[in-house]
Amino acid sequence: MANYVMFIDPNKCTGCNACRIACQMQWGLTPSVNYNHLIEQETGKYPKVQRMIIPIQCQHCDDAPCQKVCPTGATYKREDGIVLIDAKKCIGCKYCMVACPYNARVINEEGVPEKCRFCAEYVAQGETPACVSTCMNEVRIFGDLDDPASPLHELINNQDVVQLRPDLNTKPRIYYAKSKRG
Amino acid sequence: MQPISRRSFLKLAAAATTAVALPQGLKIDFQAFAEEAKAGEVTKVPSLCNGCSSYCGVWVYVKNGRLWKIEGNKTHMKSRGHICARGHGVAQNVYNPGRVTQPMKRIDDQNNFQPITWEQAFQEVGQKMKALVEEHGGDKFVWLCHGGKESYAQQFMDIIGSDNYITHYATCFSAKTNIWQNMAGGMFNSDFDNAKTMLFVGRNYAGGIIPAAMKRITQAKSKGAKIIVVDPRFCELATIADEWIPIRPGTDLAFFLGIAHTLISEDLYDKKFVAEYVYGFEEFWAHNKEFTADKAAEICGIPAEKIREIARALAKDAPQAFLDPGYHGLAAHYQNSNETMALNVIINALLGNFWKAGGLFPAASTTFGHPEATYYGPVAAKGPRVDGAGVSGEYPLVEPSRGIPQRIPDLIEKGRVKIVFFYSYNPLRSAPEPEYQKKIKNADLVVSINYDWNETSLYTAHYILPENHYLERTEHPKVINGNIYWPAAQVATRFKALESTTSSLALLDIMKGLTKAYGIENLYGYTVEEELEAALGPLGISVEELKEKGCIELMPTVLPKDEGLTFSTFTGKIEFSIGAWRKEGYLGVPTWVPPLVEPKNANEFRLIHGKQPWHSHIMTTNNPYLMAITKEKNGTYMWMNSSRAAELGIKEGDWVTVTSEITSKQVQVHVTEGLHPECVWLPSTYGTFSEKLELGYGQGVNYNDFIPARIDKKTGHVMGQECVVTITKGGK
Repeated sequence: MANYVMFIDPNKCTGCNACRIACQMQWGLTPSVNYNHLIEQETGKYPKVQRMIIPIQCQHCDDAPCQKVCPTGATYKREDGIVLIDAKKCIGCKYCMVACPYNARVINEEGVPEKCRFCAEYVAQGETPACVSTCMNEVRIFGDLDDPASPLHELINNQDVVQLRPDLNTKPRIYYAKSKRG
Repeated sequence: MQPISRRSFLKLAAAATTAVALPQGLKIDFQAFAEEAKAGEVTKVPSLCNGCSSYCGVWVYVKNGRLWKIEGNKTHMKSRGHICARGHGVAQNVYNPGRVTQPMKRIDDQNNFQPITWEQAFQEVGQKMKALVEEHGGDKFVWLCHGGKESYAQQFMDIIGSDNYITHYATCFSAKTNIWQNMAGGMFNSDFDNAKTMLFVGRNYAGGIIPAAMKRITQAKSKGAKIIVVDPRFCELATIADEWIPIRPGTDLAFFLGIAHTLISEDLYDKKFVAEYVYGFEEFWAHNKEFTADKAAEICGIPAEKIREIARALAKDAPQAFLDPGYHGLAAHYQNSNETMALNVIINALLGNFWKAGGLFPAASTTFGHPEATYYGPVAAKGPRVDGAGVSGEYPLVEPSRGIPQRIPDLIEKGRVKIVFFYSYNPLRSAPEPEYQKKIKNADLVVSINYDWNETSLYTAHYILPENHYLERTEHPKVINGNIYWPAAQVATRFKALESTTSSLALLDIMKGLTKAYGIENLYGYTVEEELEAALGPLGISVEELKEKGCIELMPTVLPKDEGLTFSTFTGKIEFSIGAWRKEGYLGVPTWVPPLVEPKNANEFRLIHGKQPWHSHIMTTNNPYLMAITKEKNGTYMWMNSSRAAELGIKEGDWVTVTSEITSKQVQVHVTEGLHPECVWLPSTYGTFSEKLELGYGQGVNYNDFIPARIDKKTGHVMGQECVVTITKGGK
């Protein structure tokens, strides 16, 4: 059983939005339904300026608030760490949307609060998530933490990494390189 | 999840009707229908992205006859497996509601068209062309296109005697190609992988994206390379730079002269390289030795010490250091663009980085075979270039291979042009002064070959002949090279991935129909498949192999070398003094030239522009996916420096009225710290005014609205940033 995690280096992101649209194509989403958000913020004063760009998507938390509040068990966690939603069980109450501290969920065409799926069906076949493979700056690295050959060990263990809102103890599966901007 | 093809729909419908028996009409088991659709086989077809002139290699995933998605081809030197947002969007344009679905004929002056058959279109256009050529001569025919890898028109023009193949380059980068050709014998490209210091001035690879360039720049940065970005705007590339240095727009030439002066006066330049491979060094120095870094600083606003520091950093790492040759950024923008480009060549030559790892290299190339000629009829003598490009007494220094596209209305008025063909080109939106460009409709015959209802088709065309979407056709192969260093040329092409959903045709079929109706039999006596085979034959590549791999790399031919360099110039050296300039009575070497216009008053700004990373200039505003990003990011806003905005009482999102010498328009403002106070910045994307492109229509404004159609006397470009605008709050 794999143990999927993602490493994101926001210092490499230049904000092209390819991740967003590659994901939309992969999952046949409508233009306004988007699982990849780039949060941008300008810092500093002219001429000493920086622009922080943080790619945000479902963090696939090991202690997922969205899963806890789901009244029907529609949101579930697989053994490989991926958090998914079973659309057949979803009653559209949107508790998960409110509970998610990362604002990762969006209502899709069928009325289901969907989100990044870590491209579950594709990674099972050895493929790379669409947001990872399309990115020219190689901002994201996805892989199996149980694979000793994975570069993720080096990136997560030996680099200065942070997680989003660690105070909430959600235990996210996405690790971010510490920002060097601003 | 993927929609279902008509064929499988009918198959299922037939099965369902058999089961329930007629005559209750068509009953469909939608569940079975959906199950079959889900199980539909996915095919992968290689193609080349049509989002910009990089032609990135893509794999097209097709399911149930519909486009599912595209992915980058890992071999292709421009994509290296990655595709930008616009690439994904342009693929989806195959389902764009703004497509022209069959040939159209104008019926009035109110932009109303009547759908006609291809046969009627060919007959009417072919016969009108014939009559006009017989009455006025073939040299009254102009073919206007984006330029690049299309070639079919040339064969027809050779027969009728027209030399007027005109590209969009004067609105884009003609100063660059012209000057590099004159001084270095052709274009050279940066080797990101081995550079230690990279200086980008007016070149934003993260906005005007080449995915492989960004991949290699970010990888080089991870290995310790230093990136310096000089740009009036904190552009997307600046986000990963070690340093962003804002410069007064229009003064990059002064900055470059300051760098060159430091390299020479501090004895930091590569004297061996200059002695062996440079012609005109002394002449350059004689005319520029007073132009110190201090003088440069007064003009460009970058402190003299910073200019010296950059020059020293480049010299220290040379030859593993370069000033990127650039692209659109400065090469069609200012009265001093030609001299600016010349200094780019000179600085790199002073660093001695030509043909050196981490420096600059020419593009590797190859040649294709051709199908046997099938036309043996008469060929008319070619008349003069109507736009005056390369013509003595007009624009002798402009490259005829590029032309002067912004001049067409004037040429029609003078009777020099009677027939205008546009191929995948939209000057009403991409060239200056749209109201002036609208006069193109006054030509005797205007034909637009374009896939969607762009402004040029809607406002000027007498006939619209819709070309199909790039995913709907197989094309003759392309050499993949240039713009970024790669040691080997590559070969790739587009293979048909989808059946057309409209009555549109490939250009080859359109040209076959037109020339036949004109009365030329068998000018293109081959299919595109036969042409492809003939092209690849001499390279020992089969069509099947190319289809399987999508992109094939040839043997490396451009590798670092230390001696025996030759340049394709008159002297065989890099010429700091341009012979063609001297011949026309100009000084051969570049010296300081001020910008044409300067903002002076409290509410005056220079209007500058640039490419937004998720749009391809003006050609993607009707794409729902890309416009969704625009909406979320307030992408149509005009950027203004916060201190200037405060002076004028302007806050984020406020409407302002922007007035230039030719027009006045309203736009919302983005207040930022990331812009030089002297200018405002517009993305080059918006201002769609074709009402048939509903998503883009009326969204934002375009810099071309504000600039008059001018022609630079040396290289023919539009001087697209020689524009002062007055800005007042409100107006909407």
